[in-house]
Amino acid sequence: MSEPILEVSGLTACYGMISALKGIGFYVNDNEIVGIVGPNGAGKTTLLESIAGSMHIKEGQINFLGHQIERWPVLKRRQLGLMLVPQEGNIFPLMSVKKNLEVSVILSNRAKKEELIDRVYKLFPVLWEKRRQIANTLSGGQQKMLAVGIGIASNAKVMLIDEPSIGLAPKLVTKLFETLKKIKEDTRTTIVLSEQNIKVLNIADRLFGLEAGEIRFDEKTENLSRDVVKDLYLGSIS
Amino acid sequence: MILNGIITGLIMGGILSLPVLGVAVIYGITGIPNFAIGVIGVFGGFLTWYFLSFNMGIAILVGVVFCFAIGYIIQRILLTPISERGGDSTLFFIVTVSLGFVFEGLMRAIFPRPSISLALPRIGTINIAGVTVEGFKIFALLFALGTLVIIRLLEEHTEIGKSWQATSQNLKLAKLIGIKTNRVFSIASGIGCALACVGAIFWGSLYNLNLMTGWDLGFLGFIIAVVGGIGNIWGGIISALIMGMVMSFSGYLLGGMWQSVILYFIVILVLIVAPKGILGSERSL
Repeated sequence: MSEPILEVSGLTACYGMISALKGIGFYVNDNEIVGIVGPNGAGKTTLLESIAGSMHIKEGQINFLGHQIERWPVLKRRQLGLMLVPQEGNIFPLMSVKKNLEVSVILSNRAKKEELIDRVYKLFPVLWEKRRQIANTLSGGQQKMLAVGIGIASNAKVMLIDEPSIGLAPKLVTKLFETLKKIKEDTRTTIVLSEQNIKVLNIADRLFGLEAGEIRFDEKTENLSRDVVKDLYLGSIS
Repeated sequence: MILNGIITGLIMGGILSLPVLGVAVIYGITGIPNFAIGVIGVFGGFLTWYFLSFNMGIAILVGVVFCFAIGYIIQRILLTPISERGGDSTLFFIVTVSLGFVFEGLMRAIFPRPSISLALPRIGTINIAGVTVEGFKIFALLFALGTLVIIRLLEEHTEIGKSWQATSQNLKLAKLIGIKTNRVFSIASGIGCALACVGAIFWGSLYNLNLMTGWDLGFLGFIIAVVGGIGNIWGGIISALIMGMVMSFSGYLLGGMWQSVILYFIVILVLIVAPKGILGSERSL
């Protein structure tokens, strides 16, 4: 087993007096899909935002590709290869689809830029069809694809996605998850996603159970019984 | 006389549209209302006046570059940090008005005269359907419209422009994808102040500049921007041209003392009917 490329230890984060994460240890191996599961308020979003740098942490260490990054600003983490696709506010609403993607490749060089945008259009052909459309006029599902597309265009080594399935029809969830798996296989991107949808079992290599800011389990997916996960940690069933 | 009124109004509106653009760019991108930009612009106008005897080109450059630098610096060391700590509009009003007074005081202290007129060279006259207009005034109007077109082209076709738009539409995501949003803010503030300076230079050349002109230009710029839909560049320009007409015609028909009564009465009326301005505020370019 190789060294983890992302490792979090003793992570504590608070909102005012309320602690959202109580000393979490968490790791991700190269080219893995890790699902963070747990009910609302478990601390899933806080964990992802702490890693990406958009949330201040109180204590703990975050090691990414051999660097201690817990005090780094968002931009520096981004340059090293981390990207967070937030649950909400994850598109530029008044720009066309094309422009959304063009601005998301800002850190790549010219040749790479086109390749990345092409990759997004290949994975989500509907975005190519609607490339001239203003982003906030897309359907909910299409907006979600654009959000993930922005994540792909950013060419991150590790892509963190916060609850991608929320608000999507069951059929679209299956499709989106298949696409995520394809992204992992084609581009060797490591994906960490927080989820409440049971279908995450189909794509994740490992599941990390979070409840009230504490770890409940950390298991390879094949060792987990579907019902246990469903009963304890997943709210929505589809 | 009607044609004369229209032409005067268009030119006045054109010049006013420069500080309006300044307000629109700054507010559109940073979300911060900066009430000091008029005073900063006039400070730049005074600087230009001071260096005018050396060389006109250099003098204008000194004023404009100085204002850009001031805009950049105040954003960097003052306004962005306040914004990151969750500053609200009231706080920004107080901070930026105070800044305005600082620059007004500096003007009083540094420059030997409280009222100046910039003698820029005239470029002849143009005859439009029987009305004689100074070429320089037409140039001022064209310059204002040209600046608008350039800003639009920049944001549509350059990477910098796209990152401005991205920052104004979704700050958090802009940060996440790797845009240096603080730099975007500082540059926007610099451009806004530089535009106000160009406006002040035109104003000082056609009329005159004194210690109060900055407040007039700044507040008028702000009010016009709000009437057009604050942050909306097109709305700002249309509103500036309409307000220019209103000022021109109320001046012609009723005399100068009625100008501000009519102007601000119309402003209030428009905002009662359309609280978000003529074209609506979108906090975006």
